[in-house]
Amino acid sequence: MRSFPGGTHPPERKMVAHDSLVQPVLPSSNMVWIPVTQGGRPNQPLVKVGDKVARGQKIAESSEFMSAPVHSSVSGTVKKLEPHLVTGNSDVPCFVIQIDKDEREEFLEPLDPFHCTKEEALARVKEAGIAGMGGASFPAHVKLNPPKGTKIEYVIANGAECEPYLCADAAAMFRYADDIAEGLAITMHITGAHTGIILIEDNKHFLKGELDRALSKQGSLHSTQTFELKIAPTKYPQGGEKNITLAAVGREIPAGGLPAHIGCVVQNVATLRAIAEAFNLGKPLIDRSLTISGGAVVKPINIVAPIGTRVSDLIPQHIALKDGVMKIISGGPMMGFAMKSPEFPIQKNTSGVLFLTKDEVNTEEETSCIGCARCLSVCSCQISPVLIVRSLKANDMDKALYYGLMDCVECGACAYICPARIKLVQHFKIGKAKFRAESQKKAARAAALQAKEGK
Amino acid sequence: MMSEEIKQANTVEAKPAGVQPAEVKPAEVKPAEVKPAETKPKKTQKKSDENEIFISPAPHVISPIKTQNLMQNVLLALLPVTVYSVYLYSMAGAVRIVLSIVTAVVSEILFRRILKRDVRIKDFSAVITGLLFALVIPPVLPLWMVILGSAFAVIVGKEFFGGLGSNPFNPALVGRAFLLASFTKPMSGWVGIHSTGMNIVPWTKSAEAVVDSIGSATPLFYANPNTEGVMATLDIAKSLGFDSSFELYTHLFLGQRGGSIGESSIALILIGFLYLLVKRVIDWRTPVAMITTTVLLTTLAGVDPLISLMSGGLVFGAVFMATDYVTSPVTPMGKIFFGIGCGLITAIIRLYSALPEGVMFSILVMNTVVPFLDRIIPRKYGFVKKKKPPKEKAK
Repeated sequence: MRSFPGGTHPPERKMVAHDSLVQPVLPSSNMVWIPVTQGGRPNQPLVKVGDKVARGQKIAESSEFMSAPVHSSVSGTVKKLEPHLVTGNSDVPCFVIQIDKDEREEFLEPLDPFHCTKEEALARVKEAGIAGMGGASFPAHVKLNPPKGTKIEYVIANGAECEPYLCADAAAMFRYADDIAEGLAITMHITGAHTGIILIEDNKHFLKGELDRALSKQGSLHSTQTFELKIAPTKYPQGGEKNITLAAVGREIPAGGLPAHIGCVVQNVATLRAIAEAFNLGKPLIDRSLTISGGAVVKPINIVAPIGTRVSDLIPQHIALKDGVMKIISGGPMMGFAMKSPEFPIQKNTSGVLFLTKDEVNTEEETSCIGCARCLSVCSCQISPVLIVRSLKANDMDKALYYGLMDCVECGACAYICPARIKLVQHFKIGKAKFRAESQKKAARAAALQAKEGK
Repeated sequence: MMSEEIKQANTVEAKPAGVQPAEVKPAEVKPAEVKPAETKPKKTQKKSDENEIFISPAPHVISPIKTQNLMQNVLLALLPVTVYSVYLYSMAGAVRIVLSIVTAVVSEILFRRILKRDVRIKDFSAVITGLLFALVIPPVLPLWMVILGSAFAVIVGKEFFGGLGSNPFNPALVGRAFLLASFTKPMSGWVGIHSTGMNIVPWTKSAEAVVDSIGSATPLFYANPNTEGVMATLDIAKSLGFDSSFELYTHLFLGQRGGSIGESSIALILIGFLYLLVKRVIDWRTPVAMITTTVLLTTLAGVDPLISLMSGGLVFGAVFMATDYVTSPVTPMGKIFFGIGCGLITAIIRLYSALPEGVMFSILVMNTVVPFLDRIIPRKYGFVKKKKPPKEKAK
């Protein structure tokens, strides 16, 4: 089993069985809050307050390439367009839609991806509003249209799901293996890749049978392409883009580059399923499966909800809570956001919501660094976390860059392992912001100087 | 500035605006809510932390291993050596070990109290400094010197620089170097094992009496080319009263020899080393590089490699001193060069200086170059070595 250097093993705590029911849910308030922009450049609203919208109707888009339109996930009436709390604790414009009982549905026409032009296929992926469901919410059609001069050889389906607690991807791979394999085949067809790989961690061996079957089915349908299942050791952050290319095909993404530069496209398995549905059913990305878990949840569960459903609207019908909720996390415990309240909507990239108790979360204070070098040994990017923090504290940006500040993916492995409880990721985020501000200033100064000289 | 921002981010606390987790649980009404809490609403809220939702940056889970756990593991690894040294030197050893630890802990507490800093005694760092210091001094060092050295180690070696994590030099070795420079004779007062009996040997005079009567030469003394030229192993063995070289080796390995309180038994030090490796507390690189370099170089100079390895404080220093987190490099290659540097200086001192042992000075000298060694970093992800451009042909 090939993998990446470093990595760590946070307790897995995956408490939902892969074959248990994925519960379809609706918000108790009968309202959804759909953010106008979910990944890519800012969208413009297409509907007004008072308009009736159908499930699947496009309600916001942008003319820019680097964007993904947003669709209504319910049949109802737009009541408001107002800023509302979203993941990240900021307020962004959201459509507030009241659900009615008409059940109007407005999907796209199904499209055969293997008998249409590449442009048509890409347009469909964009039109369906598909964005990376693994966490980054990156518009999918951008990844499928790699920069000029690159040649895609591999499509890697990311089924690592290396974050603790989360198990919605595993459930999807078990139930919808055929959809995922087909999404993989479609992506390979669009990008011209010769090999498709589904990569899972070895804690998900139970998926091997289903995935092998689905992949060999695709193999028999598309005889010129190769389909493979790869199993990598269970190690955080196996599902990071940089690590998964190394584990799946043994290639490193050059610093500051894209997977496309080494002939790879990486898509989350849930995204691939959404791509398959966009062609087969004409269904845009309007539903999201996610894990509801954590020590404060009575019964951890996987649910599928219309995008825009507020988590608070699922309490207590679908999420029964115990006493002692200390943190509400949108996403996984390693990279997710701690939210100030559960009143935030589920978005395209919400892979889980966790209610954690005091016993599970870290509340310890930062202490002095003793230089144990554990952060270096777990870093999947082979950078030197402790030395970056020391350089940043000494205000030495050049050194911080030399030690790898801008190569950090903020996976949190170093902060997880740190015995002195130093918030390394937070230091890096501040350092990165500082570097960007400094470079912007420099660029502005250079431009001003040039303008002066030009005169 | 940066730490302030972080503190802010950590202490932000927000009550859920709408649905409160405490309300949704199907349990009965809480006593806190039944109480007429209007008089002191804030206090009751603080008592029950159920309604408090914390916000902080990711990651939200953290490994159970804290600084204390690492330090406890080091103490455990030192336990066999410590127990054995009490067996070797009886009360004299035990008293010095306890005295040194107590002095280290008390002086750290006092220093930080006086300077109104937080007392961090819970991290076990002072205990380790005290114990390490005790293990590298002679078993009959006058007690007041033990106190002086241990306090010097903690206060000057560590706290003057800002405490744990900020000291550039290994504190225990700073204490030892101070004593060696100030009181050279008592610091070289070696006694034979089991020679002290129940006598604590508290002061200089009593120590002199003991040393005079039972002073013993170490193999390292004979192995030093400066003294009488390098002797053959068998001759060394014979002059120390052994019948064969093999017998000398076993005695050295098992620790049937005098020296600093804790450095005698190579076997027990290696057990501690293995424990620290298995528990992943320390890295193998520095000790292995240091020992290899010293043994290799002294062998080239004609010293028996096994004697070189097993005499003096080489193994003890390499395992417990050169691996001190704070004062050694963090990068893998930095650790190797640190070890090589320590080994090199140890060998040079052993071969060419009037001092019989060089482990302490080698580590202290190498401590100064740690920031430079930390510049040797691993290849970062995504930085593939560029192929050398084909050389342009000269005319």
